[in-house]
Amino acid sequence: MIGAFLTWLEHSLGKGPGSDAQSWSEALLGSLNFWSLLEGTHLIALMLFAGTIFVVDLRLLGVTFRKTRVSVISDAILPLTVFSFIFVVVTGLGLVFAKPLYYYHNIWFRLKMVLLAIALINILVFHGQTQKTQAAWDTEETPPRNARLAAAGSLIMWLLVITCGRFIPYDWYECGKPQTAFINWVQECKTADKGEVNLAGQHLEAKPAGQQP
Amino acid sequence: MKIDIEQYLPHIRPWVESLANTFPGKEIKPQFAFWEVGHILSLILLGGTTILMNLRLLGAGVREEPPAEIYRNLRLWQNVGVIGIVVTGVLIGSANAERLYDSAAFVVKMLALLAGIIMTYGASRPVAAANGAVNLPQKLWFVLGSAVFILGLYIFVISDLINVGIYHVITGAALIVLVATRGRLRWTYLGVLIALIVAQFVGTHFVIAPDNYARLDPVNKVFTWLYSLWIVGCALFGLFRDGKTEEGGPLTKLIAYSTILVWVMGAAAGRWIAFA
Repeated sequence: MIGAFLTWLEHSLGKGPGSDAQSWSEALLGSLNFWSLLEGTHLIALMLFAGTIFVVDLRLLGVTFRKTRVSVISDAILPLTVFSFIFVVVTGLGLVFAKPLYYYHNIWFRLKMVLLAIALINILVFHGQTQKTQAAWDTEETPPRNARLAAAGSLIMWLLVITCGRFIPYDWYECGKPQTAFINWVQECKTADKGEVNLAGQHLEAKPAGQQP
Repeated sequence: MKIDIEQYLPHIRPWVESLANTFPGKEIKPQFAFWEVGHILSLILLGGTTILMNLRLLGAGVREEPPAEIYRNLRLWQNVGVIGIVVTGVLIGSANAERLYDSAAFVVKMLALLAGIIMTYGASRPVAAANGAVNLPQKLWFVLGSAVFILGLYIFVISDLINVGIYHVITGAALIVLVATRGRLRWTYLGVLIALIVAQFVGTHFVIAPDNYARLDPVNKVFTWLYSLWIVGCALFGLFRDGKTEEGGPLTKLIAYSTILVWVMGAAAGRWIAFA
């Protein structure tokens, strides 16, 4: 069902009459400059987003700004983080819209989404639980263990999210190449354009759902 | 028009071609993606620390602490970012040297790196350490860094295929001015900026056909100039209207603006190496 929706998104949405007509997704991917601008903006917004998160996390770990109240750092920096996160998300959605099927069958993209969800849950847990007691440790040079754990988790998750994002264009595990059964299953290669190929080089199934209608 | 290293140093081509097959390029090539991640993480660390340090000089960001305190807490991490981008950059560059050799974006990136290091270490950091005071050495370093920055901007703008990347620098400048301005100036600035964006979109989608590149090109260039003039004009107006504040005078703020933007230009040019 998701595969069929993404196929429609990539090949049909916004497509006009005529054999040369492009869908909006194809037009975005084939645009002279717009896709490149989106990609560049995604990276530059990431500089501000992740860069500011790292500073807040380092304060929570008691590594930097030790003499400054935690609330001072988070209140001043987090609005910048949220602002840049909007840019990261909007440009990221644009990039996915240009190649939805490619991303859907990409193991790094899937892993990135899982890690992104964990990172966001970590933020929610921090704000919902750990931060409730912040008044008690706001001035401490080294915040309590829970806060440091949340910060360490945040740092690790965002490092992994960025790493997975950078690995997406690499074709190491591309569907249609000989892969282990696990990799084929994780990427749902059997519904991908290039299908599912096992380590012996055998095409296992013809692709039914991801094809252009 | 295109300016690249190959034009000026054609005789080093055999050496450039050999780099991918000798140490360290040969060893880096199989792990290229991992070193790229290191490059991006270094850039993020450098970007975050630079933005926070210089926003403070602009009177934004962590305003509860003086600029010297921001500098003292971030200098180590900024050093890690700068060393990281240089080391990983040299390594991935050696594995990918042929691509960089005839790339105008690479020339822009190297100029941005040089200007960024000059401005960061010669001007921005000493000024932050002195709570906004600008002395003669910082002025001289700033002039030198600005000259290299402007040369990089010029090559970015005149180079075919990559010149669109200048919109990253314009966007960066637009957002910094938005954060740094206050009161009615901020809203006037934002209103005119939005009007320009709408006018460009309407003009290049409905008035002129989106595939009529011959007519779109001059129109887009006019809008690029309009954006630049409006953003720079508002920034300068804000600087001189506010005069000397607790963070320093107009020159302090000019150093802060420029130091952020030079690194944005470096990141943008780096990305455009892959596109053109």
